[in-house]
Amino acid sequence: MKAIILSAGEGAHLSPFSETRPISMIGVAGRTLLDNTFGLLKSAGINDIFVVAGHKREKLIEQLQQQDHNGLNLHHVEQKRKLGIGHAVLQVKNKILPGEFFLLAYGDILTADNIFSKIQQSFHSFKCPVASICLPPSNQMFGNVFLNARMEITKIVEKPKGNNLGNYVLSGVFILPASFFKLLESSGNSMEKALKKVVAGEGLRASMWEDEWLDVVYPWEILTANKMIMDSWKETSIAKDATLEANVTLQGIVRIEAGAIIKSGAVLEGPCCIGEKSYIGNNSLVRSYTSVGKNCSVGSGVELKNCVVMDNSQIGRLSFVGDSVLGENVDMGAGCMTVNRDIDWKPISVKNGKRPMATGMKKLGAFLGDGVVVGAGNTIQPGTIVAPGKVLPACYSVKHK
Amino acid sequence: MCGINGAVGLKNISELLFEGIRNLEYRGYDSCGVALMNKTRLILKKDVGGVEDVYRKHNVLQLQSNIGIAHTRWATHGKVTQNNTHPFASNDGNFAVVHNGIISNFRPLRDQLQKEGFKFSSETDTEVLAHLLEKFYKSSRDIEKAFVKVLNLIEGTYAIAFISSHLPGQIFCARRESPLMLGIGDEIKFVGSDFSAFIDHTKNAVILDDGEYAILSRDTYVVKNLLSREEITKPITKIEWDSETSRKGGYPHYMLKEIYEQPQTISNALDLEASGLDEIVELFAKSKNSYLLGVGTTFYVAKYAKYVFSQIAQEFYPSISSDEFRVLTNLNKQSLVFSASQSGETFDTLSALKYAKSKGARTAAVVNVMGSSIARLVDKVVLQGSGPEICVISTKAAVSQMVILTVLAMKLALKKKVITRKTYNQHMRALQELPEIIQGILNERSGFIHRLAHKYSGTRNWLYLGRGVYYPIALEAALKMKEVAYVHAEGMPGGFLKHGTLAMIDDDVSSIVFVPPPEDKSLYEATLHSIEEIRARSGFVLGIHFTEQGKNGALYSEELILPKVPPLTAPLIQLVIGQLFAYFTATSLKRNIDKPRSLAKSVTVA
Repeated sequence: MKAIILSAGEGAHLSPFSETRPISMIGVAGRTLLDNTFGLLKSAGINDIFVVAGHKREKLIEQLQQQDHNGLNLHHVEQKRKLGIGHAVLQVKNKILPGEFFLLAYGDILTADNIFSKIQQSFHSFKCPVASICLPPSNQMFGNVFLNARMEITKIVEKPKGNNLGNYVLSGVFILPASFFKLLESSGNSMEKALKKVVAGEGLRASMWEDEWLDVVYPWEILTANKMIMDSWKETSIAKDATLEANVTLQGIVRIEAGAIIKSGAVLEGPCCIGEKSYIGNNSLVRSYTSVGKNCSVGSGVELKNCVVMDNSQIGRLSFVGDSVLGENVDMGAGCMTVNRDIDWKPISVKNGKRPMATGMKKLGAFLGDGVVVGAGNTIQPGTIVAPGKVLPACYSVKHK
Repeated sequence: MCGINGAVGLKNISELLFEGIRNLEYRGYDSCGVALMNKTRLILKKDVGGVEDVYRKHNVLQLQSNIGIAHTRWATHGKVTQNNTHPFASNDGNFAVVHNGIISNFRPLRDQLQKEGFKFSSETDTEVLAHLLEKFYKSSRDIEKAFVKVLNLIEGTYAIAFISSHLPGQIFCARRESPLMLGIGDEIKFVGSDFSAFIDHTKNAVILDDGEYAILSRDTYVVKNLLSREEITKPITKIEWDSETSRKGGYPHYMLKEIYEQPQTISNALDLEASGLDEIVELFAKSKNSYLLGVGTTFYVAKYAKYVFSQIAQEFYPSISSDEFRVLTNLNKQSLVFSASQSGETFDTLSALKYAKSKGARTAAVVNVMGSSIARLVDKVVLQGSGPEICVISTKAAVSQMVILTVLAMKLALKKKVITRKTYNQHMRALQELPEIIQGILNERSGFIHRLAHKYSGTRNWLYLGRGVYYPIALEAALKMKEVAYVHAEGMPGGFLKHGTLAMIDDDVSSIVFVPPPEDKSLYEATLHSIEEIRARSGFVLGIHFTEQGKNGALYSEELILPKVPPLTAPLIQLVIGQLFAYFTATSLKRNIDKPRSLAKSVTVA
C-alpha cells in the first residue's frame, strides 16, 4: 500500500521552530517526527511513501534526497500554494490509480506504538475506507466522531457544545480509496466535507487507537512528544565508536550515537540521548528526557534537564537548560540560565505574538529559534520565545570602561 | 495497478491463494485469475469479475495444488476481457506468468515473437513474458537463465511472478518499481504485492528491491542480484500484526467492543419471546419462597433484581451468592431458585442448582450460552441472546440480564395487579429507549470519561457509593474496577459511611457516588447527604449525576453529568459509566484488559 504523508502545513502556533522548517522536521528524542513516521511505516510493511511538501519544503526535500532510507521508496510532491489540507492531498492524485486504496497520514502527529499497523489491520478486516480515531488528552480543537457497534462512523461533528461532552476524534490517519480525490474536488477541497461524503456514501469504518497520541501544535508540546518517545524506549544503546571517558556515569536508558564524546565526570540520567558527533563536557549533568541532536557541543559543568537541543547547537560552560527547546545552530554563551519556574509557582504563560497563552505548566523554560545567539551570562525568563536568528547581547555585571 | 499473489507449500494452497488475492482486491479489480499445478501440468482459471465470483464460477477451490500464482487486475493495457486476464500461459503451456506494471517495449517484442511464430491470445503487454520465457528456455534448458535474459530484455516497470511445469516446486519472481515482497513461513513461502496477501500465515517478510529476483520453494528461498547473479542476504522484516485484531472488528479490546454492543444486546433482550418469560413469571407467582442466585457479577445482577422485584412487584426475594447458597437456604417443593450465569457453566451456581433440585425445588435461569450445563439442568431457562462475550470481564451479558430481570418483575407486578397496564407500558417504553440513550452516552461522553479516568488513574483506593438500587450498581461498577484495573474499589451503601467507613476518608481514599435523578426524591436527598459527609472531611468525590452542572454548588470535586432519563433505567446508565471508567483506568494503567491476571472467563471449578 502506498502512503501519503502531509507535511505542507505552516504550523503557525509552533513558532519559532515552524518559521524555519516544516513541522514534521522537528526533532525529538534524536530523530525528526518524519523519521519516526517512516520507521513506523516500514515496520507496518509500507515502503512506497509520498510526502507532500509545502511550507519550507527545501529543507524537507533535501533530507529526503540525502538520507539513507533503508529500503523505503521515498518521493516528494510539492504543494506550491498554501491552499489547505484537501488541496495538499490532491497533489498526490496522479500517483494513485483508480480503484486503489492508500494510507493518508498527517505529518505532525506522533505515536510511540504503530498506529499504521493498527489501521492496516482494521482495513484488512473491513476491506473498506477506515479512519483511525483516538481519545486525545483534550478535545478543544478536534472534530468528534459518532460510532455504532460495528465501528461504522455515523456522524462527524464539530467540537460538541455543552458540558461533559467529548468523544473519539479523527486522529489524522486514514486508509481511503482513489475515489476520495473526486470527493475532495467536489467538496471545494475541504477534507472535512469529503470525509462526510465518504461517511454518507461508501461508509467509513473506525479503527480505535488506544495508545498515546499527540498532535504537536504548540512549542511546549515538543517536550511532551520527546517524553512520549523516550518513554517507549526499552533498552540502552551506545554506538561502537562513541567515546566514553573514565568516570562517566550512566543511569537508566541512555542512547549515545556514533562519534559522540562524553567527557570524564559527566552524569547521564536516562532516558536521554546524545546525537552523532556531539560533545558532552566534563562534569556535565544530563538529566532525564534530554535530547541532544547531532554535532552539538555542551560545555563543562552544564546541566540539561527535560529539554530538546536540535542539531549543531552549542551550550557554553556552566549553563542550565531545562524544560526548554533549542533549535538548530543555537549558540548559547557561558553561564546562561533558562529559568524554568516563577517565584510564586504560578502556571507559566508563553507570549508568542500579541497575546500570552496559558500552558498550564508550572515548570517551563525558553524556546530559542534556529540560529539564536545568546550572549554569556543571560538569564532567560520562563516561557520566553526568541525568534530565529536573533542575537541577545552578553550580560555583564562588570564592564571595562 | 494489480495485485500479485503466489504460494508454494506442503499442502493444498488453493484456499490460501484465494484468501490472499481477495485481501489484495483493494489494489483494484476488474478481473482475476489463478494458475495451479496438477502434478506436472499447469491449470489456468481466469475470468472477468471479483475474486469471489471468479472462484465460485470456476470451482477453483475444488482444485488441489501445492503451488500456485494468482492475480487481480485493474486494466491498463487491453480491455477487461477473459483473454486479457492474468495469468498468461506460454504457447507450449509450460509457463504461467502474472505481472503488475507496464512493459514499455512490449510492441517490438511482440512483433518479433509473432514473426517467430508465437501465437498471442490477448492485447496485453504481459503475454510477451510467457512467450519469451518459453523461447529462451528452449535454447538454454535453464529456467533461471531464461528469466534473467527476459528481465534484461524488457523495459518499464514490473512485478513478475511465474511458475513452470519444468520445475513444478518453484516460484520465480522479480520487481522493478512495482511492489513485491516475499512471505517466509515454515514449509510454505509466499510472494505478494503486499503483505496483506500472506499476513494471516506469516509475519516474516522479505522486501525485494529493484534489480533483484527471487526463487522460492517450499523449504527455502534465494534472492539474487540481476546483474551479478550473486546471492544477496536480505533482512527479514517482522510485520507488526496482531492476528486477533480482525476478530475484534477494529476495537482495541473485546471489553470495549462488548460495552459498545450493549445497545444491541439490550434490544435483543427486549425482543425475547413473551411466552418464555411468562412461564418464569408463573413460577415466581406460584412459589412460596424464591431465591435469586448468582456469583461474582451475576450475584450483583441478583442483588439488583432483589431491589427491582421489591420496588416494582412488591416481592422480597433474597439474593444469595451461589457459593453460600447451601448454608443459607431452606428449600422445599414450593421453593423457586432463579439463577443468572453468562456461560451457564459456573461451578458454584451449577452445584447450588443441583442441590436445589435434590431438595425438590423448582429451578430457572437466565443464561447466555445455549446448550450449557445450567441451561440443560433447570426447569425453565431464558436464553438472553447477547452473543458471545469474550472478554473475561462481563459487561453486556450482565446489563442484559438486569434488563431481563426488570421485565420479569414488571410482568409479575402486572400479573399480581400491583401496577396498572399503563404503568407497565410506561416502564416498557423507558426500557425501549435505553439502547439509544446508551448509544448517545458512548458517542458523546467517552472522551470525557476517558479524561477523568486518565487523570485519576493513580488513585489506589475508591469507595463506590450508592443507595437503594444504586447500591448493587456501585458493587458491580467497583467489581469492574477491581477485575480489570487491579485497583481497590469498595462498593458500599451510602448509609454505611457514618457507621464506620467515614473514618477512612483522607487523601488516599477517593469516592465515586452514583446519584439518582432528583425525581427519586428521598433517595436523591439521602445520597447528597452522604456526599456532604465526605466533603466535610475534605474527601474527594466524583459525582455521576443527572442534574445540571453547578446546581449543587461545590458539592462534587469532579462531576460527570448525564442526560435526563426515567428513574427506571437511570441505574443501568450509571453502570455503563462505571464500566467505561474501569476500562479507561485499566488502559491508562496498561493492564491486560481482556485477560486480567488470575481470572478466567467461566469458572468451572470449585
